[in-house]
Amino acid sequence: MNPIVGWLDRLSDLISLPAAWGIFAAGAVIYLIDAWRIRFFALIVQYIFIGVLFARVFDTRPEMALMKVLVGWLISGSLLVSAGVRRRASARDSTKLVRWAANLPFRILVLVTVTVVARLAAQRFTLPFVSADLGLACFLLVVLAVLFFGTEETDPGVVGVGVLNLLVALEIFYLAQDPGLLVSGLMVVVSLLVGLVSSYLIVSEASP
Amino acid sequence: MTVSGPLFIIGALLSLAAVLQLLRRWTGIMAWLAAAAAIGVVVLVAVVPLDGTVAFGEFRVSLGQPLVLLGRQLVIQQVDRLPLMFIAATSALLFIVAWRLLPHSNFFPAGLAVLAMLSAALMVSQVVYAALLIEIAALLMIFPLHEPVTTAYGTTYGGSIKGGSQYMVYASLALPGLMVTQLLLEQFAIFPSDVGLLQTATVLLGLSLAMLLGAVPFQAWLSSVAEEGAPPVVTFIFTVNLGTVWFLLLAYLQSYTWLSQQAAFASIFTVVGLAMMVIGGMLAASQRGLGRMVGYATLVDNGALFVALGSRQFAGLSLSIVILMARPVALALMTVGLDGLRRYGNGSDDLRNLRGAAWVAPWRTLAFVIGGVALAGFPISLSFYARWGLYRLLAQVNLIQAVLGLLGSAGVMMGVVNAARAFTAPLPEGAARQEGALDRVVLLFVVILIGATLGMGLFPQVASRVALQMVEGLRFFAN
Repeated sequence: MNPIVGWLDRLSDLISLPAAWGIFAAGAVIYLIDAWRIRFFALIVQYIFIGVLFARVFDTRPEMALMKVLVGWLISGSLLVSAGVRRRASARDSTKLVRWAANLPFRILVLVTVTVVARLAAQRFTLPFVSADLGLACFLLVVLAVLFFGTEETDPGVVGVGVLNLLVALEIFYLAQDPGLLVSGLMVVVSLLVGLVSSYLIVSEASP
Repeated sequence: MTVSGPLFIIGALLSLAAVLQLLRRWTGIMAWLAAAAAIGVVVLVAVVPLDGTVAFGEFRVSLGQPLVLLGRQLVIQQVDRLPLMFIAATSALLFIVAWRLLPHSNFFPAGLAVLAMLSAALMVSQVVYAALLIEIAALLMIFPLHEPVTTAYGTTYGGSIKGGSQYMVYASLALPGLMVTQLLLEQFAIFPSDVGLLQTATVLLGLSLAMLLGAVPFQAWLSSVAEEGAPPVVTFIFTVNLGTVWFLLLAYLQSYTWLSQQAAFASIFTVVGLAMMVIGGMLAASQRGLGRMVGYATLVDNGALFVALGSRQFAGLSLSIVILMARPVALALMTVGLDGLRRYGNGSDDLRNLRGAAWVAPWRTLAFVIGGVALAGFPISLSFYARWGLYRLLAQVNLIQAVLGLLGSAGVMMGVVNAARAFTAPLPEGAARQEGALDRVVLLFVVILIGATLGMGLFPQVASRVALQMVEGLRFFAN
């Protein structure tokens, strides 16, 4: 094995549990703060952690993990640009950098609840063929996705992030067992399309 | 040079889709090129034998030759021919209908790309690839779904995106179940004594297909898409996309015979189907929005498909195909009507805004009503023949089930009658008394589609023969 690949593999082994929680923390920022500039940075950070987890899935091909990160960043950028178009069209006040989402106490309560649910589910139902930390990451990503679908129905950007989280959970679980290039490539196409569709829906919503 | 049939069909459709993106300015050229390509697929698949070749200049296309991509095969088999012809012919019909309804629309290139993806899904045998291709097709169809439409008064409407957003979510939620099913099937090949794997696979496959088909309780996306989407695009999703999912379900029943041998198979399909018919019928009867009515009428139609499959009889299976064949013409007719009524209603399809519409837009109103009657399964239409056959089949086993199915259809019919009453009410004072210049081509479409609806209803044996051919491989399925 290439020494750099081996070094990366060991590093991702060490930090994959913190990365799983990092993904969740970034998702929580997206859920609690209603400002796309902040959400953009949270999404960028989330995809770095996702890259760390993919480095474990593709332990001999780190370039695949890098590609997932780059695709995620590309999508984040397109969502930010689209949200900017919508903000300008709605002439919404953009001087405040941080704007908390509506019903903040409720959201915090829901977030705490789903964190506990995901943690317990990861302990109770062990996913086959993936390590415990990857399994936990899958559960956390799925609960984030459900949260985004359920409570942010009116914002196609956040719904899109939810779909992307669901796809990442699926990719981690599926590709750990069948790391085929064709499935991986098609998943990348699906992710890019989800990003494009979400951006398009944001802009469509803003157009008169 | 000889190319394989799958490569030729998928490659040609995707290449033309890219070219059409450059021709967005010329709607007529786009529409007819897209329709010609889809008809070309129908002719190619219908005429050329699987072991034969056809020459296009330097190219020779061998229809039955597989396309191998990174070790995975795409191949056109005998059983795929009729489904491929069905989705391509339906696409062609809708491209022509959309010619005058969606100027400069992304529908034509996106529709061709979707047709390519769905054709590939039918040609590939592994569930995981079919699932991913269906997801890609669903996502591509969202682009034209929410394009703004110009009304009769020169204003535009559109911009609400809930339908597209929900469609994306439901199509994506169906993906994990289908992909994990593939893993379970591979596991079962290694551990054939582990029946639990099959049971889990059955549940996951059933749930995922139920989401994709908008079965109860996953029906929310059907009505949202129908309420807010451009009518021809909605019809495309309800016929081509859903039709492919249905054909894939039949293909999986054929490939994985254990699926239909699960003890609860028939009862689950029947109960879910009847629930869809009854709930859809009740909701359709109480609707004021025409778009939502179309969505719920489709829910009832999907329910009839489930019930037909749940009957576990060969006749039921062939009736499900007849129902599927009747849907494009009925929905296309409703599409043309709904499009005109929304333009007249300045973007609204609420019946309160469309009182007296029949006096202003008579042809569009007629199209909506006749399409609605046909989709509800009432005479004279092909759906009537199929639904009546289904009720008779159900009545032989359980009369209550037949009555429940009939009530679902009656609910849709009640919704259509309510709409017709509003359309024929006196015009409110101050309402516009002229629709504007009537597009003669649209009028021609209406006349042709009404003729096709009546013709298919009067001579159902043609569709019935095709349906019997399509389900020939599923004879094992019957009790």
